[in-house]
Amino acid sequence: MRTDQLIEELTTALRAQIARAQWFAQLPADALLKRPAPEKWNTLEVFEHMNLSSGVYLKGLEKVFEESAASLPANPEFHPSMLGDYFTKAMQPKPDGRISWRMKTMRMFDPGRQHGASSESIARFISMCQHFLKLLQQARSTDLNRMKVASSLGPIIRFKAGDAFRFPIAHHWRHLLQAERLVG
Amino acid sequence: MELVERTIDRYVSLSEEEWSRIRPLWREHAFGRGSSICASGQVEQRFYIVQSGVQKLSFAHDGQDICVGFAYNGSWSGEFVSFVTRKPARFDVMAITDSVLLGIHYDDLQLLYREMPAMERFGRLILEQLLTGRAEREIEQLSLSAEQRYDRLVARSPQLLQLVQQKDIASYLRMTPETFSRLRRKR
Repeated sequence: MRTDQLIEELTTALRAQIARAQWFAQLPADALLKRPAPEKWNTLEVFEHMNLSSGVYLKGLEKVFEESAASLPANPEFHPSMLGDYFTKAMQPKPDGRISWRMKTMRMFDPGRQHGASSESIARFISMCQHFLKLLQQARSTDLNRMKVASSLGPIIRFKAGDAFRFPIAHHWRHLLQAERLVG
Repeated sequence: MELVERTIDRYVSLSEEEWSRIRPLWREHAFGRGSSICASGQVEQRFYIVQSGVQKLSFAHDGQDICVGFAYNGSWSGEFVSFVTRKPARFDVMAITDSVLLGIHYDDLQLLYREMPAMERFGRLILEQLLTGRAEREIEQLSLSAEQRYDRLVARSPQLLQLVQQKDIASYLRMTPETFSRLRRKR
């Protein structure tokens, strides 16, 4: 795929996600705390889950951009890795909004078993998306194939920088849909 | 937000003009169970009134979490000492059930204190109330038996027994979890 096209798509997606998050942020507190069942997540915990898991990629991307983005020549093409592409597509909700590939949340990404979630979680999500946007702006002049980032799927799976953007952003959509159903 | 008015109204009366200045400075904050409202080491930025839920005030000592108080519907919440001194909090404030708190930022409250004598009076009255509560609790802790302390708590806030973990209530009452469950069975 063309790098500039990828960057454009991801930028559009992040902007839309920020707008969604801003919509959630102005809902009454009671709606954000509502749980479908006592052991299920509320909307705030859904946002905190995104913060915990996407935080892994943001941290990784910031590190490789800082270390090597400037020294790599711009590459107009991005080739997703097989695993990066597979997991990104698995995350993407189907066109009808259904979630295709359900998975059990790892403990480290489960807010209920970490430090909980609050209104701040939505604010942090927005700021995280803005950080991703900032990195995407720098991405045009570097090579998203040659920088590698640890994934959230375990220490053995490393993503190319391009996939380290694609995966969390696709993952956001699935959880923004979940959050919409929660407050619905 | 109606709760803010009802609460302040118990202490001072304000004109509609003053209310329209005060109201927008209070905001709703949602805290899911297990989330931190103020962590020790942070400076508390807000003063809260509890709309719903239960919060715990505690500090870590010797690897243990020592519980010093609870806040619930209608009471104040947050780390008040840090809020007034602007120094890092010594206590942790945590939501133990899903909580909705109505909060005002320190700078906004200072602004109201400067603009409205009635609000400064409100500030003084709540400080007096907090101090009185502190003194009462000190007497309770130093003079009452474990059994009497337990009875006082049950009389004052029976709902806590359902909502709060036994170890936190035991710690709050300065007794071992064993003594606590023995008393609980006896009653």
